[in-house]
Amino acid sequence: MSAAFVHGVGTSRFGRQPGVGAPALVQQAVTEALDDAGVGDVRELDAVFAGTVFGAPGTAQRALQLLGITGVPILTFENACATSSTALHEARHAVLSGRFRRVLCLGVETMTLHFSGPITPEETDVEGRAGLALPGVYAMVASRYEHLYGLEPKALAAVSVKNRRHGALNPRAQHGAEVTAEEVLASRMVADPLTLLQCCDISDAATAAVIGGERGVGRDVRIAASALRSGELWDHRSTQPWGYELMARVAGDAWQEAGIGPEDVDLFEVHDAFTIGEITATEALGIAEPGGGCDLVLSGHTALGGRQPVNPSGGLLSRGHPLGATGLAQVAEAVWQVRGEAGARQVEGARVAAVETMGGGTAGIDGNGCVVVVLGG
Amino acid sequence: MSTTTGDPRPRVRTGPDGVAVLGWRCTGCGYPVAQQVLTCPLCREPVADSAFSPEGEVWASTCLRVRVPGHTPPYAVAYVVLDDGPRVLVRTPGDRPLPPASRARVTGTSETGDLVAVPAEEES
Repeated sequence: MSAAFVHGVGTSRFGRQPGVGAPALVQQAVTEALDDAGVGDVRELDAVFAGTVFGAPGTAQRALQLLGITGVPILTFENACATSSTALHEARHAVLSGRFRRVLCLGVETMTLHFSGPITPEETDVEGRAGLALPGVYAMVASRYEHLYGLEPKALAAVSVKNRRHGALNPRAQHGAEVTAEEVLASRMVADPLTLLQCCDISDAATAAVIGGERGVGRDVRIAASALRSGELWDHRSTQPWGYELMARVAGDAWQEAGIGPEDVDLFEVHDAFTIGEITATEALGIAEPGGGCDLVLSGHTALGGRQPVNPSGGLLSRGHPLGATGLAQVAEAVWQVRGEAGARQVEGARVAAVETMGGGTAGIDGNGCVVVVLGG
Repeated sequence: MSTTTGDPRPRVRTGPDGVAVLGWRCTGCGYPVAQQVLTCPLCREPVADSAFSPEGEVWASTCLRVRVPGHTPPYAVAYVVLDDGPRVLVRTPGDRPLPPASRARVTGTSETGDLVAVPAEEES
C-alpha cells in the first residue's frame, strides 16, 4: 500500500457528562465515523486500534460489542494525551504494511469518573507526589519560556481569546463562549502565570476514524505523514521548556516524510491544553522561530482569516480535553477542514492540515509521546 | 491518586557541614541522578551513593493556587539545578515563585516530605 487515507471521522458530544458512560460515547463516535466512511457492514473492518488513558481494562471491547464489532483484533494503546493519535499512527502503518486493509481507530475517555479538578501525575513520580498538577507542569513551561525569551501576559491571553473565538463557531465545542483578553487575565489564577481561562477543561467524549487504503473516493483524506516519538531524558542538562525538544524532533520527522515544511500547511490543530502549549508548539513545529510564538499569535497569523490558522476548531481550550480521545478529535477537525466541511470556521482553500498532540506526565523525560500527522495535499 | 510504591522524592542528610541532597552518581560518566537507578541511564555503568551540594540555580518556578488532592494551596515550587548535581523539584516559602536564574539553597524537607529551598542569600 503506497498511502493510507482517512475514510471517515466521527465524535461524540464533548463535555462533562458523568451520566454517559464510555459505551454510549463510543457508539456516538463510531456510528458517525462509519457513516462518514460509507461503511455499512462492520465486517468490512479488519481491526480496531483503540486508545484510553484512564479507562478500565476492556473498555474498547465492552463498548464495541454493542456495535457488533467483535471477532477482529482489538488493540488498546495508551500514550497520555497523545493516545488516540498514537492509535492512528499505528493504524496507518498497519494499513501501509498490508497487515490490515481497514482499521477503525477509537479514542474514549470519561474524565469525570477520575478527576474533579486538575489532572495530577502519578504519585510514583516526584511531580505527582509533590502536588505539581498538570497546570503546574505547563506553568513551569511558561516560567522557563519567559526566562529564555520573555513572555507577555497579553500573548498568553491572545491564545485563549483566539481559540475561544474559533470555538464559538464550533457546535461540538464544550465551551463555546467568546472571551476578552481582560477576562482571561482577570480570571482566577491557577498556576502562575496561567489563569483559569488559559486552561482546558476535562471532558467525557469519544472520537473515531476509519483508516484504509486508496479507494478513489474524493472525500477520503490522504495521510501524507505521521511521526511518533517518546521523550528523551529531561534533566539538569536540558535548557528548553518541557516538551519542546520532543515536539520539534517529531515535527522534523513528519516534515521530512511529507516532503513539505510548515510554510506549506494551511492550518494546524495543536495541543493547547494550556495557552503556553500553543506558543511552544507553534515554535517547535517551525511556524515561528524560537521565541517568536508570542508575536505570531499577536499578529493574527494564526487566527481564522490569518495566513495559517491554528486550532480553528477552538482547540482543547474550547473543545475540552478527553485525554485518550483528543488526538482523533484534532484529526477529525483537520479532515473536515481539508474536505471543506468545517462550516462557519472553514479555513478558506484548506488543502493541507497538520495535527500535533503532546502527551506527558511522566517525570524525568521530555514527554510520554508526541505525534504529528500531516493530512491532505 | 493512591500508590503503594516508595516515596520517589529525594532525601537530605543534615550534618556538621550542613545539608546535602542525597542521590547517586555514575562511576563511569559522572551523570548525577536524584532517583534511585540500578545503572547509569546514559552509559549503563554502575552508580554510587552521592551527596550533592544543596545550592543551585532556579531553572523554572510557579505557584499552585488550585486545590490538588493532598495539598493545600497556595504553594510555590521550583526546579533547581544543584551545583554539579541533578535538577530537583523543591517547595519554596510563601506564594511568590523564586525567579529563574536566581540562586537557591535546599534547607531540608517539609513535614510532607518535599525538598524545601529558600533564596541562597537567606541562608548565608
